[in-house]
Amino acid sequence: MNPEFRRNVWLELSTRRIMTMTIVLLLAFFAAAVSRSDWLPPSVAITLYYFIVVFWGARNAALSVVGEIRDRTWDFQRLSALGAAEMTWGKLFGSTIYNWYGGAICLVVIVAYRVVHAGPEAGLISLVFYIVAGLIAQSAALLASLIAAMRRQRHTQLEVFAYQMTGLLTALLAIWVWNAADPAGSLITRIHAAEIIPWWGQSFDARAFLLVSLALFAGWLLLGCYRAMRLELKMPNGPFVWLAFLVFMGVYVAGFDAWLPKNGSINVRDAVALRLALAGTTFAILTYVMVLLEPKDRVLYRWMGAEFLKGRLGRVAYVMQGWMMSCKAAFIVGICLIAWLLHEDAAPAAAVIGAALGFLLRDVAIFVLLQTLPGPRRGDFAAVVTLFALYVLAPAIADGLGLTQALVLFYPQPWIPAWQSPATAWAEALIVVVLVVSRLASGARRAAAAV
Amino acid sequence: MIEVRDLVYEYPNKRALDGVSLSVAPQTITALVGPNGAGKTTLLRCLAALEPPYSGTVLIDGLDTREAPRQIHARLGYLPDFYGLYDELTVRRVLTYAAWSHGLAPALASGAVEKAADRVGLVDRLETKAGELSRGLRQRLAIGQAIVHEPKVVLLDEPAAGLDPQARRDLSALLLQLRDAGMTLVVSSHILAELEDYCSVMIIVDDGRVVGGKPIKVRDDERPRYFLELATARSDLSGFLGAAGIDVIETGDHHALFTFTRNPSARAKLIRDLVKAGFDVASFAESTRALEDTYFAKVRDKAP
Repeated sequence: MNPEFRRNVWLELSTRRIMTMTIVLLLAFFAAAVSRSDWLPPSVAITLYYFIVVFWGARNAALSVVGEIRDRTWDFQRLSALGAAEMTWGKLFGSTIYNWYGGAICLVVIVAYRVVHAGPEAGLISLVFYIVAGLIAQSAALLASLIAAMRRQRHTQLEVFAYQMTGLLTALLAIWVWNAADPAGSLITRIHAAEIIPWWGQSFDARAFLLVSLALFAGWLLLGCYRAMRLELKMPNGPFVWLAFLVFMGVYVAGFDAWLPKNGSINVRDAVALRLALAGTTFAILTYVMVLLEPKDRVLYRWMGAEFLKGRLGRVAYVMQGWMMSCKAAFIVGICLIAWLLHEDAAPAAAVIGAALGFLLRDVAIFVLLQTLPGPRRGDFAAVVTLFALYVLAPAIADGLGLTQALVLFYPQPWIPAWQSPATAWAEALIVVVLVVSRLASGARRAAAAV
Repeated sequence: MIEVRDLVYEYPNKRALDGVSLSVAPQTITALVGPNGAGKTTLLRCLAALEPPYSGTVLIDGLDTREAPRQIHARLGYLPDFYGLYDELTVRRVLTYAAWSHGLAPALASGAVEKAADRVGLVDRLETKAGELSRGLRQRLAIGQAIVHEPKVVLLDEPAAGLDPQARRDLSALLLQLRDAGMTLVVSSHILAELEDYCSVMIIVDDGRVVGGKPIKVRDDERPRYFLELATARSDLSGFLGAAGIDVIETGDHHALFTFTRNPSARAKLIRDLVKAGFDVASFAESTRALEDTYFAKVRDKAP
């Protein structure tokens, strides 16, 4: 048996705890059965399942790494011979084994009710959905705590709560999406239940499509945990899995046909342009998410710069971070989109895309630049505040003062002449990039001097 | 067993290790010494494949830390300066988990647990929870965790910190026992006296560099260090010893520290020659502070 899973079983599953969980749950179901309220045993089971597996389980999953760091046992685990996969599943299922025990009792009640009232197929779908929802919450919380471990954060109670909330919110999003296809759930969310989902020109049954989607995203989350664990165990990851994820996300998001007729924000001529725009936007969003989450390691960037100058591009490509690859993907798709729009005689729209790419480069450079400045490491917070000032405060002031021409400094603008917006954005990007490169170079010189 | 070549490790604002090269022979105990902030812990973490080098290579048992970190971890035992234990588990379970997680088959693990517990003197406490152990016993358990899988290399960062004199003596005996069992040990500390008992080689790290450029042999059973004290000052003591072909480490008008053969006849002859030359010999004895003497001699040499 996996040693990490076994250790967690030692800690989590004592006879007394098993008895306590069983008795409390049975009493809760019995109370619901005999009470005259609207709370029936299945409703109680669903509520308790969400509490035990999603809410509490997410906390235990987050603590499975953060607790080790806090208790100073993490280095010992990192020095074991366990592989990243063993460590990941040993932690994910070991630390939550008690939650899954309680969740299994709840699932028996939920699935039995569904089978009796809606048939075996509905029972099976419910079983898969609840397990996937729990898995998503716990793996998102574990992934959040692993990312925090890479960032060398302090792991206070508040931060542990934040990782737990990450898991919880991810699960809530999954449940919300699922309810959009579930006739019963749509009553709760007040969203009209969809019966079919058009995707890449094909119509799919909404429940089957969303269930498969949730399972796929749960799989990506688990893979994300595994890869984050590899990094913690000092095993290099390489770029290929993240590139595969980008391709998956691009294809998945760009495939939704339902968005095609609704979009009018840019001068899109046809479905090809909109699909490219959707994929590019997805990559841009992933760039912002990853540049915020990943550690902006100045030493790594200096090393990459030195290797790049030596012409060792393969070594540089191998250690590229997620935000770098996402940014490159956004640029590739953006350039394709510009070419397509120019081909379609839509120069203003092409100029907007060109400006958006410039602002994207400027923004990620701001994140890196603020991490290279001296003083306490609050670079990410400072970067978010800077972007808030650039995208919200400064445009509001400019607009209030009647300086509408100045808005070109802050947003992509489809103005005449068309070149003005991209030229401004790229000039800003160039300035910040030059600052970043000079800061990294001077940092390297200072570090070498301060032995 | 350990080969380090041109190791550079950088923090964002400081180069912690700057071109460190060293070699550690198998089945030895090497002291890693230096002032606080010199880079000892960073060097140990690089040796443990916990921190990747900025440049240079670290080979443990022929494996590169950059290319095969997990294989190295399986061959390694590491006690960090600040460590934790699973307080809710018994000593037996802590050691069993350590054995399993280092790849020992369950059939072999129970024997390895008994052996490690015996080595660190915890056989009679196998069913006690780790959280109920005293500080000294916790230290022993932490060392037990690090050696239960019979690693080839053991790295210990300040292992004697906070231990009472008896526990320190037990630790010295344990480390010598591990060396005799075939392990290669590197022990970091800034308490030189505690290293004196068991280290034969010393690496002085200061400002991220190895002082003198290589490890220093501090204990040679064939040619130990001797301390000579004169009752009357003589400025020609150094010259006399040098002319006699003696490898002098340090001299003054009243004393000299040098290596010399253990052969009793040769030592008797040296004393006779000194007396014959008019040196007022007050004492002549093997130095019991070889490591400390060497450390301060090297640090003095380094000073501008």
